[in-house]
Amino acid sequence: MAVLELQNITKRFGAATAVDNVSFEVERGEVVALLGPSGCGKTTTLRMIAGFEWPDEGRIFIGGADMEVRQPYDRNVGLVFQDYALFPHMSVAQNIAFGMKNRGVPRAEISRRIDEVLEQVQLPGIAGRRPSQLSGGQQQRVALARALVTRPDIMLLDEPLSNLDAKLRLQLRREIRNILSTFDCTSIIVTHDQEEAMGLADRIVLMNRGRIEQVDTPHALYQSPKTLFAADFIGHANWIGGTLSRRGGGAGVVETALGSVAVAPGGIADGAVTLCIRPERLALVDGEAGADTRLDAVVERHDPIGADLRIWSRLKDGTLVQSLEKNVGRDLPAPGSAVTLGFRAADCIVLPGARP
Amino acid sequence: MSGLSISKRLADALFEAAYLSLITLFIAFSVIPVIVAVVLSFDARSFIGPFPPKQFSLRWYESFLADSYYRDGLVTSLILATVATLIATIAGTLAAIALSRATFRGRAALQAALLSPLVVPNVVLGFGMLIFASRLGIIDGMTRLIMGHVLITFPYVMRTTAASLVGIKASYYEAALSLGAKPWKALAQVTLPLARTGILAGAVFGFVTSFDDVGVSLFLTDAYTFTLPVAILAQMRANLDLTIAALSVVFIVATVLLIVLLDRLAGLDAIVGRGVYGR
Ligand SMILES: Nc1ncnc2c1ncn2[C@@H]1O[C@H](COP(=O)(O)OP(=O)(O)O)[C@@H](O)[C@H]1O
Ligand SMILES: [Mg+2]
Repeated sequence: MAVLELQNITKRFGAATAVDNVSFEVERGEVVALLGPSGCGKTTTLRMIAGFEWPDEGRIFIGGADMEVRQPYDRNVGLVFQDYALFPHMSVAQNIAFGMKNRGVPRAEISRRIDEVLEQVQLPGIAGRRPSQLSGGQQQRVALARALVTRPDIMLLDEPLSNLDAKLRLQLRREIRNILSTFDCTSIIVTHDQEEAMGLADRIVLMNRGRIEQVDTPHALYQSPKTLFAADFIGHANWIGGTLSRRGGGAGVVETALGSVAVAPGGIADGAVTLCIRPERLALVDGEAGADTRLDAVVERHDPIGADLRIWSRLKDGTLVQSLEKNVGRDLPAPGSAVTLGFRAADCIVLPGARP
Repeated sequence: MSGLSISKRLADALFEAAYLSLITLFIAFSVIPVIVAVVLSFDARSFIGPFPPKQFSLRWYESFLADSYYRDGLVTSLILATVATLIATIAGTLAAIALSRATFRGRAALQAALLSPLVVPNVVLGFGMLIFASRLGIIDGMTRLIMGHVLITFPYVMRTTAASLVGIKASYYEAALSLGAKPWKALAQVTLPLARTGILAGAVFGFVTSFDDVGVSLFLTDAYTFTLPVAILAQMRANLDLTIAALSVVFIVATVLLIVLLDRLAGLDAIVGRGVYGR
């Protein structure tokens, strides 16, 4: 059974709808990322799960129990705030003990668990310090420890890495992942950073303007986005607009300004569509092999990005496209030279609707 | 080019000089009366003569201690200020917390109403309280005084507490709730300790205001219960002598002691300057 279940949750602030008919489930032990641009309703969703906001419509179940009239202190959730919210007038040990005292854990057990949890977050020996004496990364881990030590049904983390600098963020991402799996803790991580979501989560709930766009594994979200927003938000993409029509046998063709493109349209209805080709699926072609669709282009410039080279080329209709080539020492066409770019029908994602 | 910069430097120097003399003047104005009072309180003459005195004695202090009128006033003032401050601190803190969470429409109006004793003249408050108390049938001097003094000390506590609550992030309280603390416990163990500098500062201002008040007390004292400032005022009319200077020194010493005590308890820095946990 799902540890957490949201059923058709809607939340309005005045006339604005912050969360619009959101439903999803989180299974035991799963780490789910709530991903989306700033202002899309992630924090509001999290606060409704924690009990600080009340949904206008819909129901929330935690461990099978309806949360409709359950106050925050009666829900067994562990919360890690964006600003950590460690109590500044208490030591690290007192911070960690706070939740256990409220939940009636015996005194001897409390001090044993403090030592244990500090060990687990790799901060032994800081029990006596004040939060202000800790670095951002240490505060972050103490906040995690404080929430985890009460053994919550579900952990909720709001932008846990946003207050840290880039290098520390990468390191702590890995550590959070390890800590959460050590505790085998069901978790929701709110983030606006797609890489963070991809790196931390088993599944991603992608939100946009209060609504869910897609719920999928990170791989599936990248590989087969279902909407223009999803394809745009995650990873890089090249876009070609056109009109889909089907021939017999499920094969489709999209008429574009650059000619016909053979595609595998899946369940998408005929009409206006946008083709999304990931840069690594768009290749320089010479000879006949490999590509179902070929496009003439002129190379504009190269961006060396380490293991890969990003080549920017302009198509005949003026669209700038990017393609990735492995940096294996091969000579690449110089800027200004005419090339042919190609992709396979299977590598072309067909998305409903035209790009604005 | 250089002529310009010289005249500019001259202007700067003039400005600085004017600025410094203004400050000096200001300090002189506030300190000289205190010095005069302290020196005069040790004057050995039996009349108020030219300054400075030639001989010194403790006679005015003896006169103060011997005078039961002043002693009674001092005791009343101390009890009154303590009780009124205690009540006002509890009520003011609760009011500030309630207002900080309130979302209803009249919130700002209610806050203004609760703070209004700060801007209403004390004589008006005292007269109002006198009428109010007599309507309620309260004729006991101490009870009336406490009512009046709670009225004037309460806004200080409420205001400083409200100000320090603004600086406390909502996430502390919410973190406490999500860690299983009931609202009252979250308030008592997290919010209040974080707001304590504001509460303490309000209590100090409130105490001093109460101790110092004449306007309100004038209406609410009776023949048996009167405060020290009221006693001084009455004596000043009847027979002006330097006992009042000795009293002023007692006042000053008491205030300094209070400040030192607070510094020990909470750190003066925290009370008058930035908050302990402020960023
Ligand atoms: N307490 C509130 N009052 C009014 N509007 C709010 C409140 N909280 C959030 N909102 C609005 O709801 C929308 C979603 O906010 P939020 O959930 O914080 O987004 P996110 O966390 O995804 O950035 C935003 O437009 C925000 O302005
Ligand atoms: Mg947010």
